[in-house]
Amino acid sequence: MPISPLLSVDGLTASVDEKTILHDVNLNIPAGETHVLMGPNGAGKSTLGHLIMGDPAYTQDAGTILFDGQDMSDLSPDKRSRAGIFLSFQAPVEIPGVPLSSFLRATIAGRPGLEMRGKEFRRRMKELCAELDMDPAYLNRELGVGFSGGEKKKVEMLQLLLLQPKLAILDETDSGLDVDALGVVSRGMDLYRKSTDGTLLIITHNTRILEHLDVDRVHVMVNGRVVREDDASLIDWIDENGFESFERAAENDAAENAR
Amino acid sequence: MEQLKIKHASAMPAPTWSWLRMNDTEISLPAALARGGDIEIEAPDTLLDTASTFEGALAELQEHLDAKRANATDDRACVRAAQMDQEGAGGRETSDGSLGDLDTPALSRYQKRATLEEVAGDVTRAFETGIGMDARSYLNFAAGETVTIATEAGSTGEATIRVTGDAGTTVAASIDAVAAPDSSLSLTIALDAAPGSSDDASSNQGPAGVIGSELRVFAGAHSHVDVTVYVTADAGFVAVDDSGYVLDEGARVQVRHIVLGGGVTATGMAADLRSDTARIDIDTRYLASGSERRDFNYVVRHRGKRTISNIIANGVLAGSSKKCLRGTIDLVHGCKGSEGTERETVLIADEGVENKTVPTILCDEDDVAGNHGATIGHVRPEQLFYLESRGVSSEDAEALFIRAKLEDAALSAPDERIRAAILRLGNRLIDGFAEELEGDAA
Repeated sequence: MPISPLLSVDGLTASVDEKTILHDVNLNIPAGETHVLMGPNGAGKSTLGHLIMGDPAYTQDAGTILFDGQDMSDLSPDKRSRAGIFLSFQAPVEIPGVPLSSFLRATIAGRPGLEMRGKEFRRRMKELCAELDMDPAYLNRELGVGFSGGEKKKVEMLQLLLLQPKLAILDETDSGLDVDALGVVSRGMDLYRKSTDGTLLIITHNTRILEHLDVDRVHVMVNGRVVREDDASLIDWIDENGFESFERAAENDAAENAR
Repeated sequence: MEQLKIKHASAMPAPTWSWLRMNDTEISLPAALARGGDIEIEAPDTLLDTASTFEGALAELQEHLDAKRANATDDRACVRAAQMDQEGAGGRETSDGSLGDLDTPALSRYQKRATLEEVAGDVTRAFETGIGMDARSYLNFAAGETVTIATEAGSTGEATIRVTGDAGTTVAASIDAVAAPDSSLSLTIALDAAPGSSDDASSNQGPAGVIGSELRVFAGAHSHVDVTVYVTADAGFVAVDDSGYVLDEGARVQVRHIVLGGGVTATGMAADLRSDTARIDIDTRYLASGSERRDFNYVVRHRGKRTISNIIANGVLAGSSKKCLRGTIDLVHGCKGSEGTERETVLIADEGVENKTVPTILCDEDDVAGNHGATIGHVRPEQLFYLESRGVSSEDAEALFIRAKLEDAALSAPDERIRAAILRLGNRLIDGFAEELEGDAA
């Protein structure tokens, strides 16, 4: 009997402001695997990540999102988070007036096995900061305020390691980072995989971040549709040839359907 | 209990419609309070053994200003009009019924007062504090004496003033701070009051009492002055924090008002950016819960050229609390190249709160900029999604902002006593607050 995947997206169609932006998307990710979602800008990759997380900016018009055997469709993002889904934001928001440490305490509050108080929390934070080459003084700063792009991504990695989700969706975590920051993000992903045997869905249009990863499956998205699925060898092919052929095929399909 | 009322406190310099009830406030104080409480001034002798006085510093500045504008004449029409009125000429109309000089404008009471003040150029007469004369008199009376803290030219100094209230008493500090040219002065004022040794942690209502401070600051040429005021009193106390600043050329002043407690608090400050390139940055953070009331009044007068001011406030209102913040940036004639900004962010955590935000820009000069903005409401949708995506529900998100306001203050508290006062306040609002912060750096 086949093992059911950790995440199963089936026939997902979604819209924003009554405009359909995802069309009949299917995606299965078994537990413990690393999948990559690639595609040109505007293909709908981030939208899919946000929909899995339950972003109310989008409307799920059809299909299902099953996670760990549970239908996520009607759950709020906080419940999806507590079920074990994590979305790392491409552009993490700033929240003035909220110190990073206060925010982190709130994220673990009430999570069995993760809740820590006082000194224990502080000790864990110091460990994680050391692993990510991050100054612990950041914990006392307001969340995201005045942080560079690289620092914001480090904070995302910090949360990934703190929350130990079953599934981590990393949305363009590599975008706009210098070599050093990319190294920290790679280390964060590595630590996450090693410490939790977690499952990864990496959204990117850049193959550099994938060089040190053991990728199980690659999905290519164009114009809101998953148009190709293959093993890790597809990454090298895309590195060589880009997305042009997928885009052309998608245009031909669209023209065919329009006739 | 019989009440003493300070009427028309924290008045806006240029009032708006009275029915909006935001032009000023009324501060009610229990009338039968004895002088009591405790005032501690922690400062090195070098700051306290001084011959400098606030009045002396203003007189010296006046001499410089008078020398600079010795032969300058001001023939603007508004000056003519104000002076005609003052001399009893009765304005434009003449006795034969003709309209007279039509180039002389009619002035409002505010315009007339402002114009005469400009022409006089009298720093001492123009000196003002944010809450006003009556509060100043009350606080000075409660304080009994004024302590002067002053730096020598080119030196650096730090002082902490602790005002600790007691049930049934009124206690206030009256401080003059004089920063000599090219010196740096850092002041921390802690206004605190707790119910005392018979502390009942389950009660949020302490006994009635008043705490306050009256502060006058002179920032000399190219000096740096840093003032932080913490208000951490329990809900039964009234806290009155009144101050006035005069800035000489190139002075840099940073003011932080951190108002976390107190049943009724009134915070007022006025700043006179008298000389060129002076700059003041005001950073206000407040929290009000239960039925607490917060009142703030900021008045910044840009008089020197290329002066800069920033009034930035960030607060959280919960329960059925009320808050009014008036911010007036006055770009006075002659302050060319100046820029004033005021911005407030208020998070409304409960539907029962009342919030008033009154930004005002007065302008009598070209080549200046006055900016204002306010963000009032609940957590923004993109912030909420981010928080929710990390497992923080919308209900928990608003509680997080309240907690964060206290934690932020505790983390940045300059010493253990202030930190302990914040933790005490936090424990009254949030179960286990201090325990969770255990191990965090002070």
